[in-house]
Amino acid sequence: MAAPPISVGMSQIHVAKGPAVFQCLGLGSCIGLALFDPRADVAGMAHIVLPEAPEVLDPTQAGKYANSCLPEFLKLLQALGAEPRRILAAYSGGAQVFKFGSGEGSKLDIGGRNAAAVEAVLAQHRLTVVAKDVGGTKGRTVVYTTETGIYRIKTLATGEKDLCNLREGGSACPKAA
Amino acid sequence: MSESRLTVESLVSSISDLPSLPQAALRVIELTDNSASTALTIASVLAQDQALAVKVLRLANSAYYGLSRKVSTLQDAVVVLGMRTVRNLALVASSYPWMVKPVAGYDLGPKQLFCHSFGVATGAQLVARYCRFANPDEAFTAGLMCDIGKIAMSSCLEGSVHRIVEAAQNFCLSFDLAERQLFGFDHAEVGEYLARSWNFPAQAIEAIRYHHAPQTIQKWNPIVDCVHVGDYLTSIMGFGLGADGMQYIFDDSTLERLSMKAEDLDQVVNEFVEQYEAYERNFEELQAA
Repeated sequence: MAAPPISVGMSQIHVAKGPAVFQCLGLGSCIGLALFDPRADVAGMAHIVLPEAPEVLDPTQAGKYANSCLPEFLKLLQALGAEPRRILAAYSGGAQVFKFGSGEGSKLDIGGRNAAAVEAVLAQHRLTVVAKDVGGTKGRTVVYTTETGIYRIKTLATGEKDLCNLREGGSACPKAA
Repeated sequence: MSESRLTVESLVSSISDLPSLPQAALRVIELTDNSASTALTIASVLAQDQALAVKVLRLANSAYYGLSRKVSTLQDAVVVLGMRTVRNLALVASSYPWMVKPVAGYDLGPKQLFCHSFGVATGAQLVARYCRFANPDEAFTAGLMCDIGKIAMSSCLEGSVHRIVEAAQNFCLSFDLAERQLFGFDHAEVGEYLARSWNFPAQAIEAIRYHHAPQTIQKWNPIVDCVHVGDYLTSIMGFGLGADGMQYIFDDSTLERLSMKAEDLDQVVNEFVEQYEAYERNFEELQAA
């Protein structure tokens, strides 16, 4: 029987060895980041809310910020036998309102800043990004099924699409945007 | 197009199951705006509706408010929590049954309108507390009701909302502007109409009417700006997003008017998420009440 989905709430990081289904419900500007080590069969998902942690960070809130989430996420995966050099990543989210009144929303664009921060921190840790789907004005629900490797995105407007398959060599799915 | 002949009034009168508030809640709204009202008058009005009174007492005693002793009477609840907080408890308890229903026209599933409205209320209250220009409980009331117009507008959009959203995206329009172009009015105007029929406080009516366009109001009402920011925070956090998603404009001049900087927003988001989760647990108890 398939494992019940693990709901990854805001600021949470969940990891598992073997079959698991992770889901982030209703992502707006937040990011749903999935990591997978194929050899160790260890995977996880994080629900990142903001780009940068404050100087004084409550350790229980490490998953909330892009720059503090990744080290914590890697630590949890490594505890289950994963090795950072083998880890593949996929992420989505980072939506935003379609327009800012002044037209200069860069600081206010939390979705765009989240996406940029996740990209930077993954690069900093030299992790391979298989696929991403960020931006736009739609909320997303993401479901990552480790057994099949499929990272699936659901939106109200466009229905479902498979962003990538992290198990099959991390191939990007052909229809992914 | 036939829709162009619609008016807010004709639309509202054509809907058979419009949202409504119990008499006791409407009377409490009226009384809390009257300086002559006392804890006893508010309590005695609430006591006339036993079901509502039980829910209000239950919420008042929930962990969220962290009261050191159990509040056993309605009058006690009003004295300890304040009239406006009790009013908000009564409003949440009264609107919950219809806010958790799906709103098909906007592709909002069960509970999503409540999640969104409750988020806006929490966000508006937080912003009011942060900037100190508006009464936080007044901001909560206005935020909670800002999208009630969607319930009546739903019938206009059913089956076509995704095409309207696509057209709005193609023509670079906000969703509320697309509604106005198609029907001659938007969900905020319908909400204003309903709130007037309930004799809502004037500031809350303005906030419902202008929550997507705070820059168009003639005389500054800080509650309008608080609700606009609350709506923005709720949307970017993805709480109760429908088909219209984030196809709205965030008017960043609101921040200036509230003496907030763009940099403050991350901190507000932080607190917002924590407060929303704490509140949510509290109001989940409504289901059991």
